[in-house]
Amino acid sequence: MIPVRAYWRLLSEYLRPQRRRVVLLSALLVTGIAFQAINPQLIRGFLDRASGDADLSVLLSLAGGFMVLAVGHQVLTVISTYLAEQVGWTATNEMRARLADHVLHLDMGFHKTTNPGSLIERIDGDVTTMSNFFSKFMIYIVANLILILTVLALLWREAVEVGIGLTLFAVGAMLMMFRVQKFAMPWWKKVRARSAEFHGFVAEQLGGTEDVRANGAVPYMMFRFTTIVRAWLPEAVRARMGFAALWGTGIVSYIVGMGLVFWLGWRMVGDGRLTIGSVYLIFHYTDMIRHPMDQIREQMGDLQKAGAGIERVQELFARTSNLDTTGRLRLPEGPLSLAFENLSFAYEDDASTGELVLQDVDVAIGADRVVGVLGRTGSGKSTLARLLTRLYDPIEGNLRVGGVSLRDADIDDLRSRVGMVTQEVQLFRATVRDNMTFFDTTIADERLWEVLFDLGLGDWVAGLPDALDTVLEAGGSGLSAGQAQLLALARIFLRDPGLVILDEASSRLDPATEVLIERAVGRLLQARTGVIIAHRLATVERADDILILEGGRVVEFGERAALAADPDSRLSRLLETGMEDVLA
Amino acid sequence: MTTEELTPRAPTARIGWQLIKNQRLRYGINAMLWMSIWVMPVIPALLTRAFFDRIDPASTNPVGFTVPTLIALMLGYGFARLGVMVTGMWTDVHFMFRTGTQLRRNMLARVFEMPGAQAVERSAGEAISRFREDVDEVEESLSWTVDLMGLTVFSAVAMAVMLSIDTRVTLFVFAPTVGVVYIAAQARKRIRRYREAARIATGQITEALGETFGAVQSIKVAGAEAPMIEHFRGLNDVRRSAMVRDRVLTAMLESAFWNTVNIGTGLILIVGARNMASGEFTVGDFAVFTYFLTFVSDAVFVLGLFIARFQQAGISFGRMIALLRGAPPLTLAAGHELYLTGEVFDPAESLPAVEPLDELRVEGLSFTYPDSTAGIADVDLVVPGGSFTVVTGKVGSGKTTLLRAILGLVDAHEGTIRWNGEAVDDPAGFFVPPRSAYTPQVPRLFSMSLRDNLLMGRPELEERLDSAIRSAVMGPDLEEMPEGLDTMVGPLGVRLSGGQVQRSAAARMFVRDPEVLVFDDLSSALDVETERILWDRLFAERAGVTSLVVSHRRPALQRADQIVVMEGGRVAATGTLEELLETSEEFRALWKGEVG
Repeated sequence: MIPVRAYWRLLSEYLRPQRRRVVLLSALLVTGIAFQAINPQLIRGFLDRASGDADLSVLLSLAGGFMVLAVGHQVLTVISTYLAEQVGWTATNEMRARLADHVLHLDMGFHKTTNPGSLIERIDGDVTTMSNFFSKFMIYIVANLILILTVLALLWREAVEVGIGLTLFAVGAMLMMFRVQKFAMPWWKKVRARSAEFHGFVAEQLGGTEDVRANGAVPYMMFRFTTIVRAWLPEAVRARMGFAALWGTGIVSYIVGMGLVFWLGWRMVGDGRLTIGSVYLIFHYTDMIRHPMDQIREQMGDLQKAGAGIERVQELFARTSNLDTTGRLRLPEGPLSLAFENLSFAYEDDASTGELVLQDVDVAIGADRVVGVLGRTGSGKSTLARLLTRLYDPIEGNLRVGGVSLRDADIDDLRSRVGMVTQEVQLFRATVRDNMTFFDTTIADERLWEVLFDLGLGDWVAGLPDALDTVLEAGGSGLSAGQAQLLALARIFLRDPGLVILDEASSRLDPATEVLIERAVGRLLQARTGVIIAHRLATVERADDILILEGGRVVEFGERAALAADPDSRLSRLLETGMEDVLA
Repeated sequence: MTTEELTPRAPTARIGWQLIKNQRLRYGINAMLWMSIWVMPVIPALLTRAFFDRIDPASTNPVGFTVPTLIALMLGYGFARLGVMVTGMWTDVHFMFRTGTQLRRNMLARVFEMPGAQAVERSAGEAISRFREDVDEVEESLSWTVDLMGLTVFSAVAMAVMLSIDTRVTLFVFAPTVGVVYIAAQARKRIRRYREAARIATGQITEALGETFGAVQSIKVAGAEAPMIEHFRGLNDVRRSAMVRDRVLTAMLESAFWNTVNIGTGLILIVGARNMASGEFTVGDFAVFTYFLTFVSDAVFVLGLFIARFQQAGISFGRMIALLRGAPPLTLAAGHELYLTGEVFDPAESLPAVEPLDELRVEGLSFTYPDSTAGIADVDLVVPGGSFTVVTGKVGSGKTTLLRAILGLVDAHEGTIRWNGEAVDDPAGFFVPPRSAYTPQVPRLFSMSLRDNLLMGRPELEERLDSAIRSAVMGPDLEEMPEGLDTMVGPLGVRLSGGQVQRSAAARMFVRDPEVLVFDDLSSALDVETERILWDRLFAERAGVTSLVVSHRRPALQRADQIVVMEGGRVAATGTLEELLETSEEFRALWKGEVG
């Protein structure tokens, strides 16, 4: 059975804004059904008269009437298709957008363990099967069901035996189809999951061709390809057998229906209770409801897929973020102070061990200060940045930005007031403008240029082939890493944040581009609080305070000048002997 | 981003034929079965006619069968068709699946054959729709060919039966189908255009989703969820219009076909009216005519749809061929073993015998990225065996491109690469382990265990894992991982930090123990300390290996036997650290920058 209620619950919300179209669509469908139901009556009249000595003009007008109704029905069908497709796509586009929005707001733990390729399959693939659901459900299933009911009613009018016989037949046939479709459903679901796995695999391969080729792994990746399709084949076969079973019910119902008509017609014409024209009418109607039943059956196959899709869509909608984002406090204007209060943190997703990455961090940093964070790889520096942007919440203790505990802060306000540049800048295959604004079309070009020139990047962007309209290649491959960093700086400058976090922002750059970046960073940190996470001492020279992390604990924190002056401090040892000896 | 040229016209028939030839026997059996499935419905038509003639008191041609016999025959027919249909479905799904897998395999193999850094023209998300929708489209089109054959035979039989009943009525009734064929021909171009637009729109949506979720952290941190979704909505709207147009046109075509049935039925009534009164044209004949009319028009309709499908398959082929980037179109359909059943092939490739490297020489190497001026020009370079050669230079000076051009990851326009004096014809095929291995600037790991990521199909190298991990300074990271080497690495390796991914990639390279190690800027995610340890271990534990490294950091530059300074895509200077500090202005600037 199609989980109609589940579909309806999910879709009705999206259909409500299009109520008028849906009503019009229904009216057209009902009219079309009436045309279809009346037509065989015209033929019966024709046949009964034709075997007698009827007036030829009566016969011709019956035949003409038949043609007019039949063609009219087709015209209505085209208009209905237009309406149904419009309604279906409008509704599911809304669903796609909300689903994408929902997923985008899920916590990073979810995203770390979910392949973007499989999200494409779920947000676009699964929802597309649902858009088919709407148009097909309305046109093929609802309309056809009404047609079948109308025809049955007309058959009852002919004779009670005919009514009983064909009603039982129709009910039996439909029940059989529903039963078959129910057991075949899980097979479809499985095959779709396998398809998602396969396309996730391919997406990864397409993104990693350099790694695969230059390390001689092509045969291995082809082997993995084979492994996946080998598992896929038996599932595809079984899913198709489910479809064959559905079609089989159609064939069986046809021969049973015809057998029934033969038997009824034979007995009742013999008794003189039915004319030959009436037998033809019954025959025609039986044949006629076979088509809608066939169509319903056929759509069931597609709807099974949609059923599998809807479950996955609901699953995705039901996932909630681990972050509570109900806080509504706004951060103060201007530079933001930071306070880590006895904070501990561990990653708690499936991929992590649950070990503490940060332990008892208790540090306060004044507004408008720039703090340099030093530490080895894995000491928890990047995690600190992720907590500040509230990609995660601490498991113990508290984190205040501008005096507001992040749990109580309005997340949109927070993200607009805290800017972060990570080393790996993620760019889109889109224009420089769209990459700067994240496709926000409300930001005027003048504002972009203002920011770019302010950061000292104006000449650089103006020098690109199409300036702001220059289209970057996929993954930003047309840009060097340093240029990508520059764009990332422009991205956050555009939002005028009160706290700027630079996570290893300068480590991949060649020195000449770094000059450009240093200048931009200098401008960016004016009248803002800064957190600079660096591996090199040079990059923290502009810091007012220094925080050194080791194994997730703060081992040193203080004013840079004071620490540098104290010969026993780690910083001064660092300055003396280089980073490696102290932090190794 | 929205402009796209129409994809090239593909030799649809030739490729389709090749795909059929790949599975001759299966296709043949499938065709026989489906012809039976489609021709069998002639039987109930004849049974129906016999029934009406039997019960019609006015009938002039009574038949031998009684009604109960007719009912029994009808049931027998049904179960026979059921059996044939299930078998046909079974062969068909096997045929379709293999066809699709063949296409996917060939595309992926070709992607791997292309220069690695230029393998996919546009984003991976967009290319995916070629593996998904386009392959599905072709699978279905091919599977339809057998239906088409069946319907053609059925139509021929049906026409013969009808002509034998009443020639005049038959000719009248089928006149409108000529109109249908005309309409189908007219709709061809339009269908092609609409389908293409719908495909492009879908490709853009999958691409946008892929990029959005690939960059989810940036979007979150920027609080840019809303504009991203707004952008996504815009793309969705474009597709909606394209899809609606496409579907309405299809519905119109469908209606046109049904109208031929309707008009045909009306014509049977009009033309047959006179003959019916005389009893020459019975109710049984009428039943057969309407029954066949539907089926034959259906066949014409399927033919029309098939033409449309065929065009769509042409579009899909065109898009898939575009992904092949210059390979002959038939490459797409070449029949390679798929290993879907039975023994699986052994992924451990037969490794080439390797001459130890005495000298790697690059002469006049040039490459420019398409639609761009970036690249390298006329690069000469000698890397002596066992040396540590560092390539340095400003951003955009062509360092990465140089490595890519040497390794064949981009297709150099000019120049020669010599291994021990011998010219290398196909650098991409040549520069693989055990000759060389490579760590790109932003390495990718794949969704599988860390062990599999390091070994990548070379289980015999398992024993080298420990030393490779040590050399790559990965020991401490590994201890932290929940399941050590069996830890599953997430999408694009995001479960690991950038440094961990880079060190994993270095270990992946060390495991292969090649003659030449090629690193593109390890410093991008490693701190100086880790990088220093890595070089130390490389020198201590892998002495004698040749290293070609892009770096601008002092630990690497200080160890270099030779430094190559790139500027604007050309070699600005070559020499040792001391020499360059004296002679190269460009290098002094870089070195000073590094002091900070």
